[in-house]
Parts: sequence; C-alpha cells; structure tokens
Amino acid sequence: MSAFDFLPSFPSSPNPVLLFGLLLLAGFAGGELVQRGLRLPRITGYVLAGLVLGTSGLGLIDKRLAAEAQMFVNIGLGIILFELGRRLDFKWLWRDRWFAAAALAESALSFFFIYGALAYFGIQPLHATIAAAIGVATSPAVVMLVAQELRAEGQITERALTLVAINSVAAFILATMLLSWLHHEYRASWLTMVSHPLYLLGGSLLIGYLASGAAILLARWIGKREERQLVMLLGMIVLAVGCAAALNLSVMLSLLAFGVASRNLDRNHELMQVNISHIGQIFFVVLFVVTGAILNVNDLIAGGGMALVYILARFIGKAIGILSLTHFSGIRPGSGGLLCLALTPMSGLAIEMMHGTTRLYPDFGATLAPIVLSAVLLLELIGPAAVQFALRKAGEAQEEEK
Amino acid sequence: MSDPELDFKPSRGFSMGVELELQILNSRDYNLARDAADLLALLEKTPHPGAVKPEITESMIELNSSVHHRHETLIAELTRIRDTLAEAAGRLNLRIAGGGSHPFHAWTDRRIYPTERFKRILEVYGYLAKQFTIFGQHVHVGCPDGDAALYLLHALARYVPHFIALSASSPFQQGEDTSYHSSRLNTVSAFPLSGHAPFVHAWAEFINYFNKMKGFGIVESMKDFYWDIRPKPEYGTVEVRVFDTPLTVERAAMLAAYTQSLARYLLLERPLTPLRDVYLLYRHNRFQACRYGLDGTLVDAYTQRHTVIRDDVLDTLKVIAPHAAELGASTALGELADDIAAGRDEVAWLRQQYKSCGSLNDVARMQSELWMGHALATA
Repeated sequence: MSAFDFLPSFPSSPNPVLLFGLLLLAGFAGGELVQRGLRLPRITGYVLAGLVLGTSGLGLIDKRLAAEAQMFVNIGLGIILFELGRRLDFKWLWRDRWFAAAALAESALSFFFIYGALAYFGIQPLHATIAAAIGVATSPAVVMLVAQELRAEGQITERALTLVAINSVAAFILATMLLSWLHHEYRASWLTMVSHPLYLLGGSLLIGYLASGAAILLARWIGKREERQLVMLLGMIVLAVGCAAALNLSVMLSLLAFGVASRNLDRNHELMQVNISHIGQIFFVVLFVVTGAILNVNDLIAGGGMALVYILARFIGKAIGILSLTHFSGIRPGSGGLLCLALTPMSGLAIEMMHGTTRLYPDFGATLAPIVLSAVLLLELIGPAAVQFALRKAGEAQEEEK
Repeated sequence: MSDPELDFKPSRGFSMGVELELQILNSRDYNLARDAADLLALLEKTPHPGAVKPEITESMIELNSSVHHRHETLIAELTRIRDTLAEAAGRLNLRIAGGGSHPFHAWTDRRIYPTERFKRILEVYGYLAKQFTIFGQHVHVGCPDGDAALYLLHALARYVPHFIALSASSPFQQGEDTSYHSSRLNTVSAFPLSGHAPFVHAWAEFINYFNKMKGFGIVESMKDFYWDIRPKPEYGTVEVRVFDTPLTVERAAMLAAYTQSLARYLLLERPLTPLRDVYLLYRHNRFQACRYGLDGTLVDAYTQRHTVIRDDVLDTLKVIAPHAAELGASTALGELADDIAAGRDEVAWLRQQYKSCGSLNDVARMQSELWMGHALATA
C-alpha cells in the first residue's frame, strides 16, 4: 500500500460522465464556429467536431469510447423519434390523400432507384436491396433540429417532418423484412428467417404501445401540469430506450411507435404537448458528435464514387415521387422542390440500420459499409444546409424578419 | 367632395354584412399557426360564397359575407363559407377557431402578413401591430345617405356596451385569465386613432373633418381610423367594430340580426337625439361591458339611470321586436333572449372548459372544435 493510493490511476478507465461532458463541449464549440463563421446549421459543426475527434481525425474517440457513448446517442435518437411519431397524424393523411400518396411514392421510388443504380454498377442484388432500404429513410434528427434551430413553422416544415416519419417507418420495415433474405443467404435456419423480423417488428411495436398506454395513464393521474408531464415523459422515453436496447429490439421503431401511439390513442387529450426537445438538446449534440466520430473519411476512398451514385439515385427517386403527386395535394404551387431538398439528409438512423443488419454477418457489412457510410458522411455535411435552405426559401424560418 | 372615397353610396332596406376575423391554429398544441398564405392559396382554388382575406398577422384570416337583408340567408351563407374554410384547413392540418383572443399565444412569435399596408402598420405602430393579433367581428348596416349614417352612428354609441357584452369571448390572453370578458378591446385602445368618431351630424361636416385630418398628415384613408363605430361610405354602411368574434357563426349571425333590427328601429323611429353626454360616459360604460360582460352596469346618458347591461339588452329586445319581425329576425332574437335569460354566455363556456380540461391548449382545441363543427369530423 502506497501513500498516494487516493490518487487516480492512469490511464483511467473511460468515465461516461466525463465523456459526455467532453462530447457536449466539443460539439458546442464546433456548432458555434460553423454557425458564426460559415452561417451553416450548428449540426454540421457537431459532425465536424466528431470527425476531428474521431477515427478520421485525432483518434481521441475510438470504437470503444464510441460504444460507451452509444447510451447517450440512443436517448437522443429516442427523444427525436418520439417527437417525430407524435407528429404523424393519420387523420390528416386521410384528409389530404394525395399527400399520403406522395409519401408512399417517394419512399417506394427512392428504394427502386437506389436498387436500380447499384445493380447497374454491379453490386449484387441482396447488397443493393439492403442499401436501398436504408436509403429510403431521411434523417429525422437533422430535419427536426434544423427546423428547431430556425424556429421554422409552416406547411413545408410540417410536411417534411411527416414525410420523414413515413419514410423512416418504410425504411425500417423494408430493412427488417430483408433480414429474412439475409438469413437465407447465410444459410440460417428457417426458424431464424421467420422469427427474427417478427420479433423485431412485434417487440418494438409492443414496447411503443405499452409505453404510450402507461404515459397516458400517468398523465391522467398527474393532470395538466407541464413540468411534471415533461419529467414523466422523459422518464418513459429513457425507459423505453433502455428496454428496447436490453431486448435487442429497435430503439428507433419502439420510440417512433411510442410517439405515434401517444398521439393517436390519447382520445381524451391527457398528454400535453410538452417541449421535450428543449431538454433533449444536450443529447442531440452528443448524438451528432458521435456520428461524426464513427464515420471514417477513408470510406470515401473505397466507396466515394458509388456513394455519389447512391445519393443521386436516392434524390431522383424522392424528387419524382414528390413532384409528381404533391401538385394535387393542399400544397402551395412550386414548393414541392423545397420538400425534395428537405428530404436529403441521412444520418444516425442509417448507421444504426447498417450496423443492425451487419452485426450478425460482419463480412456482409464489409462490402456494403463503405458505400452507405460514405453517402451518410457526405449527406451529413450537405444535408443540414439543404434543409436550412429549403425552410428559409419557403419563408418559414422565424429569424427571417430580423 | 373631391375625395371619391368619401362619396356615400346609398344602401337600401337595412342591408347587413358581416366580417369575421378568425384564428388559424395548428393541430398539435393548438397554438396559433402561420399558414394564412397557404390557406388563402388553397381557398382560391375552391369555389365558395363571400370572400376570404388576409389580416395583419399570418395567424389570422378574415371571412366576409355578401350583402344580406334577412338573417336566414346570412346564416346559410356563413355556414357554407365556414364549411369550405374548415375543409381547406383540414387538408392543411390546421384548425380554425372563433373567439376574440387566442388563449395563450405569445405576441412576439407573430409575423406580419406581407402586404404593403400591413408592413406600414408595423412600421408605424411597432409591437402594437403584432399585439393586434386579436379577432373581431364587424357588422355593416346599410344607410340611405351619409347624414342618416352619422345619426345611426351616434345613436348606436349608447348601445356599444350591448355589443361588447353579447359578443365577449376573450377572457384569456397570453396564457392568463385576464378577469375581463373582453380583453381584446383593451388592445385596440392602445392605438392613437381608436375611440369614437367626432360628434358631427351632417355628412358634409364629416368630409371637412376627414380632410382636415388628412391635411395634418395623420391619416390617408378611412381605414386609418380604428373607431368602434365607423361610417363606410364606399359600402354605404355604418360599421360596428366592437364585437369579439363569437365562438360560432350562428352566434355571429345572431349578433348581426340584433344590430340590424336595432338600426331599423333607430333610423325609422328616431327615438334618440344624438347626445354629447353619451360620449362623456362612453369609456366608463365600455369598460363595464369589457370587464363584467352582461353583469356590468350601464349609465344611460338619456335618463341618467344606472342599469345592469343584461336588463338593458332584454328591454331593448322587447322594444325592437316589431322591427325584428319585419326583418325576419324574430327567431334569431328569440334565441338570443333565451340565451341571456338562461345565462349561456361564451366567456362562461370558455372558463368552464379551462376548469374541466385544465389547460389552455385544451381551451383552444375546444374553441376550434366548436367553430368547425361537423366540418371537422367529415373533412
């Protein structure tokens, strides 16, 4: 026993709280620099800070630390998906059916276009299909945070977020169904083939359903008190995130289902519209820093060319889907193009799906990852600016007037 | 007579028209939305009677009826416009609500609707322009000539507390219960050109007054006067502007019928001589109506008696009954009398909703469900 045993040993084991604080401050600094210097959305700064600290840069955040931070990432994603789910209003989609049709067309066409383009360049069908399924989703986090940063409000903002909710669900369901094919390809038993997707879908939906039921009951008990409902909902979100992660279910789908159910099942309006994203902000910063940290610039060398094809095909698919049908919906003429732009971002969601599908079969991931992750990297940098441009151009940003 | 805007176009037979300023809400937390432009664009593609126009901020929309002589055609038209508006709002996932104020919006969030006139108002009045996101009903009554219009204007001044108390529907503002029945009018009072018209009786005098004010460079057009009651020469009407927008179009039509019957009584029987003393008591009586609604007291300049506004309205309804009968408004005014007798008023309803639901978001939601009616369910 030495006299200085009270001193910490070096190098110390990773401390999650220390890590959280560092990520938060790094992101904050990056966000401010980018916003002040380049007039770009803060998110871009968070990602850049991540790139600098992560595997592509200084290497301060390695795989192990990134895994450690996954907890915060999940909470951030959980809050965003819950909020997004709460915006999905089936009655509205019924009232504006052309818009609903455009949402489906946009999802379907981006899938087929990506698949077609990748297949044309010789990517084998299974890989192309899974990459296409992942590409259907727009990053909910980016669109929602840019909208928040601009305090944007209006038809384009509202519709972009609804489209994102729908294409996220579509992407997830597609990717889950493709799991069967993947299992089949790798000669897993037919039981795995059938039960894995069912478990993922059923389990995640069940978590969402149960969480919303519990939240509604608790809200009835608490009454209409904003601060208390906020704490309760936050607790329920974190609990749902934890359950989904512990049960190997999808955090995204569970929380999306939680949001959708708590809007559409709350018939007596027990739940208040509390501003969770306000508190969620700290998790969102960490979410993007970590995303930047795990993305590897070297992927661009391996997959950059194909990533461009991927991005282009995805954009064209989405644009055709939207431009061909939104004209008939309640939207202002000429604003369909802005919606297309607002759907550009890809991010954490795609990474999680990518890892979700490749965790089981790592060598499968090796061929696909460079393409998809390069695309994510590029869109992570372009996407926020595209959304910012679209919402400003639509005249829906609050800052405009000053 | 140089200014054509001031030529009084004669109207026949006590015609009436209604303008309603309405709230555009989102369907998530029922705060005010900013979608007036999109809503107007969509309505342009949908045939409907009357007219729909922008108002000072992007969270408002104004609905105009055409010219009517009878209550039944007015309510039929207002119902049709409401249904069209509700249907369009539904397609944009918006809600429309009546009521003189939005219960909890923050005026700092408001944005001016981008027309030249509204931009100029923002420039002149600063933050008042954004606080002007309040919602009123205007009732026009046709007059045969300018002199008659000025007579009617001064005679109606005595009844302003009636109009305020009967339409009051703005107890909540900026997230608080103001304790007023109509808090909306307090916002109007902040404008320098609010208040009442000058005490002139001949149309020629009025033109002189207007030209003088124009010469001072204070006003450019009649629109710059925010008076409670204002002549509208180009329509040939007197416009009563103190009403809060009621919670339903039915109530709005009822109030129009009341104004129309009262105007017919005043113009045909000429029971009151315009009295300067009415304006001496004007702000006091107006305040009583804003603060206490039908329970407020009214000091009658003609008799010097203090009466409860409710009783004064019920008495007036009896006096004007023959005129209401001539105009086909007996049923509407009968319902109005029943509502007053039974104590059904919109402020009580709003406060009741707040008590039972517990949040102002719910109050705004109930307001929109009430205004849109079945159109919301079927849209």
